[in-house]
Amino acid sequence: MATRIECIFFSEFHPTLGPKITYQVPEEYISRELFDTVQVYIITKPELQNKLITVTAMDKKLIGCPVCIEHKKYSRNALLFNLGFVCDAHTNTCALEPIVKKLSGYLTTLELESGFISNEESKQKLLPIMSTLLEDLNATGACTLPIDDSNTIHLKLIQLRRDPPIVQEYDVPVFAECKDLYIKSQWDLTTQQILPYIDGFRHIQKISAEADVELNLVRIAVQNLLQVLIYFGVFYHFFQYSNVYCTTPKVQSLIDDKSIQEECLGYVTKQGQKRASLRDVFQLYCGLSPGTTMRDLCSRYSQQLQRVDERRLIQFGLMKCLIRRLQKYPVKVARDERSRLPRLYTGSHSYDEICCKTGISYQELDERLENDPNIVICWK
Amino acid sequence: MLNPLVGSPDDSRSMYRQSQNNFYKSGDKTSPISVILVSSGSRGNKLLFRYPFQRVDECPSSLSAKQRNPYALNVTGDVLEDQDGDSREQSPLTDEQLVAGFSDIILATILATKSDMCGKKFELKIDNVRFVGHPTLLQHSPIIQVSKTDPSPKREMPTMILFNVVFALRANADPSVICCMHNLSRRIAIALQHEERRCQYLTREAKLMLAVQDEITTMTETDGGPQSPFRQILPKCKLARDLKEAYDSLCTTGVMRLHINSWLEVSFCLPHKIHRIGGNYIPPEALERSLKAIRPYHALLLLESDKALLSELPLDCSPAMVRLIKTCSAVKNLQQLAQDADLALLQIFQIAAHLVYWGKAIIIYPLCENNVYMLSPHANISLYSPLAEQFAQQFSGHDLPSMLAKFSLPVSLAEFRNPLEAPAQEAQLIQMVVWMLQHRLLIQLHTYVCLLVPPSEDEPGLRDEELPLAARVGGRSLSTPSALSFGSPTSSDDMTLTSPSIENSSAELVPGGDSPLNKRMTETQLTSLSEHERQVILNIPAAQNPEDLRMFARLLHYFRGHHHLEEIMYNENMRRSQLKTLFDKFRSVLVVTNHEDPIISIFQSPMD
Repeated sequence: MATRIECIFFSEFHPTLGPKITYQVPEEYISRELFDTVQVYIITKPELQNKLITVTAMDKKLIGCPVCIEHKKYSRNALLFNLGFVCDAHTNTCALEPIVKKLSGYLTTLELESGFISNEESKQKLLPIMSTLLEDLNATGACTLPIDDSNTIHLKLIQLRRDPPIVQEYDVPVFAECKDLYIKSQWDLTTQQILPYIDGFRHIQKISAEADVELNLVRIAVQNLLQVLIYFGVFYHFFQYSNVYCTTPKVQSLIDDKSIQEECLGYVTKQGQKRASLRDVFQLYCGLSPGTTMRDLCSRYSQQLQRVDERRLIQFGLMKCLIRRLQKYPVKVARDERSRLPRLYTGSHSYDEICCKTGISYQELDERLENDPNIVICWK
Repeated sequence: MLNPLVGSPDDSRSMYRQSQNNFYKSGDKTSPISVILVSSGSRGNKLLFRYPFQRVDECPSSLSAKQRNPYALNVTGDVLEDQDGDSREQSPLTDEQLVAGFSDIILATILATKSDMCGKKFELKIDNVRFVGHPTLLQHSPIIQVSKTDPSPKREMPTMILFNVVFALRANADPSVICCMHNLSRRIAIALQHEERRCQYLTREAKLMLAVQDEITTMTETDGGPQSPFRQILPKCKLARDLKEAYDSLCTTGVMRLHINSWLEVSFCLPHKIHRIGGNYIPPEALERSLKAIRPYHALLLLESDKALLSELPLDCSPAMVRLIKTCSAVKNLQQLAQDADLALLQIFQIAAHLVYWGKAIIIYPLCENNVYMLSPHANISLYSPLAEQFAQQFSGHDLPSMLAKFSLPVSLAEFRNPLEAPAQEAQLIQMVVWMLQHRLLIQLHTYVCLLVPPSEDEPGLRDEELPLAARVGGRSLSTPSALSFGSPTSSDDMTLTSPSIENSSAELVPGGDSPLNKRMTETQLTSLSEHERQVILNIPAAQNPEDLRMFARLLHYFRGHHHLEEIMYNENMRRSQLKTLFDKFRSVLVVTNHEDPIISIFQSPMD
């Protein structure tokens, strides 16, 4: 979603005229009326200095970060200014906040180092800077500004996805499109180190072990990728042929949505084979149901699986929420007075979890529990 | 108060985070951090009241002493807004501390807006706090006339020009939550404006509040002991108590009922708190979409007993609502309900939607023996859950996990039927199923069918480019609640062939047999198919039977994967067995799957 900036303004507290807009591009965008209404949020009381303030008024949204530099040399002993952006009231302006904050920091530094703003001559350089900012940010989302001989500002709009999920050790990160499309050098060192191990099958813990990167760092890197990339997902998955899956209502999107169809058929077709047909793939997904293991599916639909990689089929289905995994939860419903309270067989822990915690295998656990009359198994 | 922002690093080590943690997180994002009342008038901008109280002894600078190790990695998933990285150096403040950091004076300045901003939504974001309100202008009350004999000059009462009831939220609150809070602010403002006009209620309360504040300030100056003036205001001002109640309710149940000046009722519910399953809430937009899509064959399931619900209703509630509550049942669909309660179907839809919105009921498919149920993925099946306890109390001799285990694999109610059991057992089973539906433990599965013809081997390229039927056949609106379709009224398989649904059924009362009229109709219905599809279908052995082919063609538009078996049965007046046989005959071009109805599944499992 593009964030369009309608206007960039530079406001300051004039020693005699009070709060005013010194420069704005395009000119005359902010009316006298609008400024009067919102000036208290632009040139603010000291308590609000250095805070990112976004106010909505008269169908416009103004984002700024008021700065106050105190020094005897200034008339009134302080310099107050604010470089802000104006957008339409309905714009989501989260991506602009870091830029506004950075700019206020840069201007503060420039003022402290060379009196950039208090000097009337150098202050005029702001106008072309603001014009460039407006143009470049709207056009490409990035802007590089040489301020003077030794200072350059780099700014970039980053659209963040909302609240990424917390990444766990057994989650599997996967690129839903070719990861070679991403230039490695743009990432930090940790991400670069783990990128080769992200193949849609290795989970976080495995990546950490094989790439020799500390577990928490891997998690953060993946969380960061989740925030920034669109075609990147993370899901919990432990593929076994004993797994059971079932369809969700979203499976119909494979039929309704051409783009999902294309993506799916491209993703699940076996390497080197002719593209799988939609009917085959859809039949496979619809073949997944409670009580049917992957093994059962493979034997029942062997013809459809000729051109389809079943692991990628499951992966795609999980990523796009076309299917979901059913897990087994044992519950100890009856016990005699003397035995301990059930710790793991409470209905809160799945087979997967129990196997991980105790180290016993799935089959072994199954054997133990299936024949125990005091234990019921719930699937969900 | 729940403060997940100051989380413990140990959480990150547990592999399988319980859904309870998420509950707190999302609970916080939907709760306000503070409620603030400001005014602007002849005495300037004033902060009249705020809650929770700012602890005067706790100044923001002392909080930085509780810094965490700046090198500790933030892996608990709390993403702070500031991406510059500067935020890593500070310890994340709790929500109250964020707002407490704003002094009374600064709040008064920024929240008592200019009159230009009155009558509109007010939204101001400062770092991690978002303030939302609805500043409202007051009309001046006339200057008090003093009697002619009084020699003293006319005294002008300090007048209030505008006021603003503001809720402080976390900056990353969901837009729908912000909208709801604004709505609430506006409603309270309307009530206050009305009472002000009628009897200067707001001015009087404001005067009281300011008097207490002045008193405490003077006391602090003389005694030196810090006190919160707002604590003293509470016992003296009804309005302050109302605002506190609003805040407390919003943070807990999400349901609020105030009586401004003990007279005007302002009721409000925050859907995000009411409609919660597991750790998630149902977004209001999704709720509304579902409500718009309910059909006459759906049923309304009350979440409380009808007696309990009736006792909660206000005295002046509509008699139609009372009738509906008394008449509704889990086995009755909305159409039947309309007949039994003697209300128009449209009215039923409206009242049902209202009850659902307020969290008093959900929409289900009416109970019948062919319904197939399965455990909901979000069901809490723990041995120690409060639900297990409630169940054991209500149905002695049975335990919840054992019952739930029976629904591990999809099972129809008919499968529980045991001719050797007493009918009382069966009745109890129905009660248990209803109980489990009410507590969102079960989902119902329906059969959906989709037409997908095997690709032709000769022209593989062409096949790939063509959209399947589902995408081609235009949307026939089959889900308008206001449509009075006269299809079969019962949900059970006991079909009575009443008149076909007028709008939806394409069944024409044409004579049977292979008449030219029928043939042409079938041909017309098949024109939406591609040449290849038509060929394949006509080559199916079952298609040689004109009756079967006619039925298939007639039902073609349902084979998009969006209409389940029961809907087709309802619209077309057909028996389950008829449809199943048809599906079987044409199975080479149909793909069948079972899943929950997305329209009503939202009540059992919110979409992630």
